[in-house]
Amino acid sequence: MSLSARVTWRSFQAGALRMVLPGLASLPFGIGFGVAAAQKGLSAFETTLMSFTVMAGTSQMVALDVWAQPLPLIALAVSVFVANLRYFVMGAALQPYMPHLPWWLQPTVWYATVDQNWALNIAEYRRGEGDLGKFLGGGFIMACIWSGSTLVGHLAAGGVLSGPGTARRFGLDFVAIAVFVAVATIMFRGRRDLAPWAVAIAAALASKWLIGGNWYIVIGGLAGGIYGALRDMKKRDVRQS
Amino acid sequence: MSANPETLVAIFVMALAAMVAKGGGFLSMRWLGRHRFIVAILDHAPGAVLVSAAVVPLTQGGGAFLAGAVAAAVVTRAFGGFTPGLFAAVGAVALARWAGIT
Repeated sequence: MSLSARVTWRSFQAGALRMVLPGLASLPFGIGFGVAAAQKGLSAFETTLMSFTVMAGTSQMVALDVWAQPLPLIALAVSVFVANLRYFVMGAALQPYMPHLPWWLQPTVWYATVDQNWALNIAEYRRGEGDLGKFLGGGFIMACIWSGSTLVGHLAAGGVLSGPGTARRFGLDFVAIAVFVAVATIMFRGRRDLAPWAVAIAAALASKWLIGGNWYIVIGGLAGGIYGALRDMKKRDVRQS
Repeated sequence: MSANPETLVAIFVMALAAMVAKGGGFLSMRWLGRHRFIVAILDHAPGAVLVSAAVVPLTQGGGAFLAGAVAAAVVTRAFGGFTPGLFAAVGAVALARWAGIT
């Protein structure tokens, strides 16, 4: 099922509103990044601009690690690309729902592909619901909250806001994971998902243990996807023969 | 408002790298998407990505996170919506920590 490329203000607003709470989940991390960027010598404007244009917290944090003078541009590009490889899989999963998207709108979809926004919208697309406006609205509000939180962190650098205790006390450090669990519950199709999800979980845990970093999302996603595909194709071949 | 030209170039390079990663999968599907094996992978990949993204922080997060995950799944299933599950999860984690579960 392919989506209409039409974007209405109403659907953009609806998509933005429902992503406010998941967006707030990035506050502690954003504030932390702002503080770290200030310590690396970035100005408030540079920090906010980086957050708004790159819009990928983990990769920005990784990039700060390699940040040095003179700036190592190739190392920065490679580290950001590798830290964002999970979006490669997410983008590939998104494309079949938007096969006729005009070329000039495609970069906005890539930009708005952020973990929680992708998860919520692709669950709707699979049910034949949702639209492009909600996807773009969700991405936009998440970019605003993320950039704003890094600016706050930069301005507050080292102040009371940089402490993760407040967010932790109210359980806000769990919102991002809660989004994944809630959306997975919505997407669960019963027995046919059990084995691929078990493979994904096993592969994710193994890769976290053996490799570290955040490769577990890419490896778990691919392992579960490939296992499910092989099983389905084998079943189909048996039925046809 | 201050900006160093060299830093602006670095930010541009980083933004470009992020867009290449995000757009690469989307664009490659224009050529790979007709293959039935790829279509079958993508039928399972979204769910597999979600459980992979959730399971590692859950195993590292302790009892409060587990309580939050159970609340998210049960309430989402009971109400059929995303938002109640989200609030229930956050509330469950806060309550668990208040009760001394870390």
